[in-house]
Amino acid sequence: MSESFGDEVIRFEDVSKTYVLGTLRVPVLKEIRFTVRQGEFVGIMGASGSGKSTLLNLLGLLDVPTSGKYFLVGQEVEHFSDNHLADLRNRSIGFIFQSFNLFPHLNVEQNIEVPMVYAEKSKRVRREKARELAAKMGLGHRLKHRPNELSGGECQRIAIARALGNDPGFLLADEPTGNLDAKTSDEIIELFLELHHSRSATILMVTHNPELRPIFDRVIDLRDGRIISDERKEEKRC
Amino acid sequence: MLASDILHLSLHNLMLHKARSFLTSLGIIFGVGSVISMLAISEGAKEEALKQIASMGVDKIIVYSKKPSVFDTTETSSEQASVIKSYGLTFEDLAHISHFDNVGSVVTLRDARKRFMKGVKNVDVKMVGTEPAFLEAGKCEIVQGRWITKLDMDMKNPVCVIGKNVKRKLFSIGAGSVIGREIPVEGKLFKVVGIFENNHGTQFPEIKSPNDMIVIPRSSSDALLGQHVFKIDVSSFQDLKLDYDVFIVAVDDVAFIDNTAKRIARYLDKTHAKKDWGIRIPLDLLRQKERTQNIFTIVMASIAGISLIVGGIGIMNIMLANVYERRKEIGTRRALGAKRRDILTQFLIETVFLTLTGGVIGIGLGVGISELVTLYAHWPVRFSYSSVFLSIAISAVVGIVFGTYPAWQAAKQNPIDALRTE
Repeated sequence: MSESFGDEVIRFEDVSKTYVLGTLRVPVLKEIRFTVRQGEFVGIMGASGSGKSTLLNLLGLLDVPTSGKYFLVGQEVEHFSDNHLADLRNRSIGFIFQSFNLFPHLNVEQNIEVPMVYAEKSKRVRREKARELAAKMGLGHRLKHRPNELSGGECQRIAIARALGNDPGFLLADEPTGNLDAKTSDEIIELFLELHHSRSATILMVTHNPELRPIFDRVIDLRDGRIISDERKEEKRC
Repeated sequence: MLASDILHLSLHNLMLHKARSFLTSLGIIFGVGSVISMLAISEGAKEEALKQIASMGVDKIIVYSKKPSVFDTTETSSEQASVIKSYGLTFEDLAHISHFDNVGSVVTLRDARKRFMKGVKNVDVKMVGTEPAFLEAGKCEIVQGRWITKLDMDMKNPVCVIGKNVKRKLFSIGAGSVIGREIPVEGKLFKVVGIFENNHGTQFPEIKSPNDMIVIPRSSSDALLGQHVFKIDVSSFQDLKLDYDVFIVAVDDVAFIDNTAKRIARYLDKTHAKKDWGIRIPLDLLRQKERTQNIFTIVMASIAGISLIVGGIGIMNIMLANVYERRKEIGTRRALGAKRRDILTQFLIETVFLTLTGGVIGIGLGVGISELVTLYAHWPVRFSYSSVFLSIAISAVVGIVFGTYPAWQAAKQNPIDALRTE
């Protein structure tokens, strides 16, 4: 590899995304360029329609850029096969969704195990890891419960535990507090901060909630598909 | 994804909707049910066919005398009193037929047409004169004592060997061993020297089962009872003359049995003025029976085929709906690292599980149908392991054929679209 990426986890180089609706070309992201380093806690903010979701899809390898390059831990992902992308999603990215997206028919333990199932880890290893993660999220006593027996906050904790199963390179959270009340939101944010500090996890969180702005190390503001500001908090960069 | 995990997941999903899964697989249940009963019935028919072959032998042609429906009235005029009537197979016929190509041996039977009584009741047994070779040709076995021998034939011994039913019919209960007892016929005494049986259900035209026969040497029959058969009715007295009742013709090569039979028929047609003979090929009867069973098999196969196709389409339909309903699940799985292949296998295995379960229930249904058929139509049924394996295989194939399209639809879902749906 000619370039040195150091501790870069994500690098976007002039990434654009244009949707084609019939004859109409709708540019959603325009020449996005940024890098995220290991251990950063990044907030991606913007009003609806600013291109947040599309950026999230690109970051999560659920979609491919129309032009530009996306390097994930130094690898250019453009030409990766569908299988390879699935593998990267599985091992390198921890997804956390606004509506949790837990499997209603699986219990807590089984839900946490899902990404590890796709990583073809043995039953014993999965079970052990799932229990450890559940305990860490304070849900060790809920292992056999179904998601519908749990509160929203508990559900999101399980989703976070699930995201951590394969020790991913970074966590990708899409409005993780969007469906929660203020108190549980705070708890979930606490949890993210704790992960950030104690495990120096790299976290990208997409949100439109301006109240969350102070918690991030760095905030990328999007408007109309462009980055309008990219600020780092100086005091946190130690 | 590990195979065990795929299996577990698919089974888990099916168990979530038990009623739906059951209704979905109804088509397969009926299809497999038809397959099983169809095979059981045709297998049973085949077995019965084999039994029939065993009862007569495929290499046999049975030629028999038949009383013509109308006797020539020219010679008898109005008075039917004591005119000798002659009909049936003759010595010349035997001499000729024995020398035909492909004819191996001929065993003859002649019914002495004697009446037997037990107390005051008529009993249904026949006294039949034949040759020692009848034991083998009639598929009989000695159970006690001995069979008639060449010596008996040469000496015209007054001995007889009785079928296994004759003892019961002719002698009183508790008679003990009947070997050595004597059966009186027209003042002559025939000594019982053995008991034989036929376990193949063999039936000869006009003479019926060997088990009801009193077998005597042909020569003794002629010497002691005479060539003529007297028949006394209430109003008339008939003197019938006939040489043979039955020829059991064994052919050398079964492949040409039809030709040989045709030749015999043509010969008899030419030499006999009246139609006083009949011919039967056990093999032919079998073929006829097989044709009837074949029609049934075709009907059942059509039902099976249609049910399986309709059932398969039903399953495909439900699985497509299922895929649509579970877009969010599919999207989430894809985001969490499921490959297209994983999704495809998951849905495919789910469908195959569904059809396999249907298949297993269908096997039960098929067994039920077959038992009903036996109960009402008295057709024999026979279940074989191969039909069970075949049904399982058919169910799996239906699952794969009709599950592939929905599974492929699931796998090709764009995870973004799948995730967006709420």
